[in-house]
Amino acid sequence: MKKGLVVGVLVAALAFGAGMLFGRSGKQDLKISSSTQGASYSGGFKAEGEGAAPPGAAIRSVAGPAPTNVVVVKDGESIQAAVKAAPKGTIIRVMPGTYHETVYIDKDDIRIIGVIEAGRRAVLDGEKKLNDAILYSGNNFVAENLEIRNYKGNGIMGQAGNNFEIRNNVIAESGVYGIFPQLGKNGIVEHNVVSGIADAAIYIGMSDNILVANNDVFDSVAGIEIENSRHAIVEHNYVHNNSGGLLAFVTPGLPIKDTVDVIFRNNFVVGNNHPNFGAPGSTVSGIPAGTGILIMAADDVVIEGNVISDNKVSGIIITDHAHAQNITTDPESDPNSDRVKILDNVMLRNGYDTITEAKALLLADGKVGAKNLDIVRVGPSPGSCIINRHQYVTAGVGDFAECDFTNTANTVNYLLPPVPPREIKPGERGKVVYLGICTGCHTYNGRMIGPPVQVIQALYMENPQGLADFIAKPTKKRDDYPEMPPQDYLDPETRLAVAKYMLQVTN
Amino acid sequence: MRSSNKRVAAPRPRARGIAFTSWIGTLLLMYGVGCFAAEGDKLFAPCVACHGNKGEGNATLNAPAIAGQDAAYVERQLRNFRNRRRGIDKSDTFGAQMQASATAMIADDAAVTKIASYVASLPKTINASPASGDLRNGNNQYQGKCGACHGVTAEGNPTLKAPRLTGLDTSYMKRQFAHFRDGVRGTDPQDMPGRQMAMMAKTLPNERDLDDIIAFIHRQGRPK
Repeated sequence: MKKGLVVGVLVAALAFGAGMLFGRSGKQDLKISSSTQGASYSGGFKAEGEGAAPPGAAIRSVAGPAPTNVVVVKDGESIQAAVKAAPKGTIIRVMPGTYHETVYIDKDDIRIIGVIEAGRRAVLDGEKKLNDAILYSGNNFVAENLEIRNYKGNGIMGQAGNNFEIRNNVIAESGVYGIFPQLGKNGIVEHNVVSGIADAAIYIGMSDNILVANNDVFDSVAGIEIENSRHAIVEHNYVHNNSGGLLAFVTPGLPIKDTVDVIFRNNFVVGNNHPNFGAPGSTVSGIPAGTGILIMAADDVVIEGNVISDNKVSGIIITDHAHAQNITTDPESDPNSDRVKILDNVMLRNGYDTITEAKALLLADGKVGAKNLDIVRVGPSPGSCIINRHQYVTAGVGDFAECDFTNTANTVNYLLPPVPPREIKPGERGKVVYLGICTGCHTYNGRMIGPPVQVIQALYMENPQGLADFIAKPTKKRDDYPEMPPQDYLDPETRLAVAKYMLQVTN
Repeated sequence: MRSSNKRVAAPRPRARGIAFTSWIGTLLLMYGVGCFAAEGDKLFAPCVACHGNKGEGNATLNAPAIAGQDAAYVERQLRNFRNRRRGIDKSDTFGAQMQASATAMIADDAAVTKIASYVASLPKTINASPASGDLRNGNNQYQGKCGACHGVTAEGNPTLKAPRLTGLDTSYMKRQFAHFRDGVRGTDPQDMPGRQMAMMAKTLPNERDLDDIIAFIHRQGRPK
């Protein structure tokens, strides 16, 4: 009898408890997906025809077979002299030592490979006097094992070169961009250690089919930025103590109008709370310090498998152009971040000291007293989806659909066998230089780094020669803008051609 | 960089005994003592009736604040008025008043230079009542269209011949902007900076953006 009663009470208690549990879970409509099972993402880039990689063979090199011609540069000699003397298709080995120079590479198949001896590297030191360490416009370019310090403009900048590999370099305190391939197709940026950069440490600009992997990026304003680029995978990077960690942007006013198909996966995005030291008024200075991942007007960005922690404003910010700081909209660019896809990520301690706007959005979402913020979205973001949303503290993602896939395992990378060089038609020299060089800092109608092209057009109306002369030997005209690096490595005809092109270009 | 900051303020013995009450009065005074008045402050005397005795401007009289404005800009504008490059379009009534005054009341180019450096030496003032608008959009539009020449905080940039904008009242800025945009100002072939501004003025999409930009400019240089 007694026993029967106890059992009865127990059953009743269990039933009550279960009712509570089921009742609550039913109300919240918890949908739990496993990212180790379920469908894989199939929306990204698909190589076609002869460009397609054979199944099962991941491409790890894009610059083609290594040249057999090798020259050696020793401490005290000039790397640039070796490049000048080298025929197309040369490996230039640079021995440990210190090199104060800017190296220009305008021929194909040149590889600059540092030799590391017992930890001693070949150091390119700009002594805060030189602007750029390496500028390449040749195709199939490789830079490896170098150390680059104290330049004012760029560490390594690509200007319309395809099939590039930039790896194992240490780049510190080197100006506005650390590694900056501009207008390139098919490239790898991996195993670099980049720090102390006043804009983007790694900046993929107007480029296609890119892999950015295994880099250590810190103490910069923007960590890794994919901007006006298509088909990029950013994975296995350690991105910490920048103002913003990973960024997928459409910068308005550039000749390429969109950013599409970017996968951010398996990165560590940790404590990106560095005070923003971008030039006041510039695009990057608008990044709220404390941002893990920032998506602005980029489409089809997949965020998967990242450890995103201790970013004080938010783990992920998704915005359109209208809500972004220091952005002038471009009528030819879609201002919204379409089809963002957020899969499983580990999010810890984000948004503990967030900005007023984000707090207001949390309140609007009914999240009164939220101490953290993992994901915040402002502006329209049509077609976006998320899985396991219950695990994050979110604002503005209530209307995201459930993704119909849980992982990107079937997408290995977006690299291709070497692609042909960019085709340059006769008479297009000015245009290519404009796209490959000028637009790295100048947008048509807004302030990126330098003044907008519209302003330059007004200042130099009827005076292309004046502009051509200025870019050869710029003088500082604006206290609150960085100084322009001289473009005197371009010959006078090219300078005039690009000046003429720039003065008539329309967006 | 800003010459106005480095210039030593000219001593200003204030002749407050005389009340400048009318345009005619100042004109008479000018003719009376003009030939002896070598110093900028004396040459500036006729200007105070509209621009105020500290150059602080008077929106009611459609006279902009000029105190602390870059000397080269002031000199260029005075010359533009005197050389009939500004203020001669029929639709620019207030410009025409200034055109007539600058022509009648300033003796020669040397006087123009002295007045300009005196104006530049006057302490900057911000008396304009702040306009309201969307400050985020104002900032974004300003940095995209204006800041490259007028400076991130609208303090002007003599190197680029761009005047200081902080402190200018709303109606003056809107009027000048419309003049540049509509082919009233910045049309003379000799007025290259004006033509540059005219070209930029035509690129601003709409009036609301201008309102927001002015609201942004009015936030600069004030205690936040």
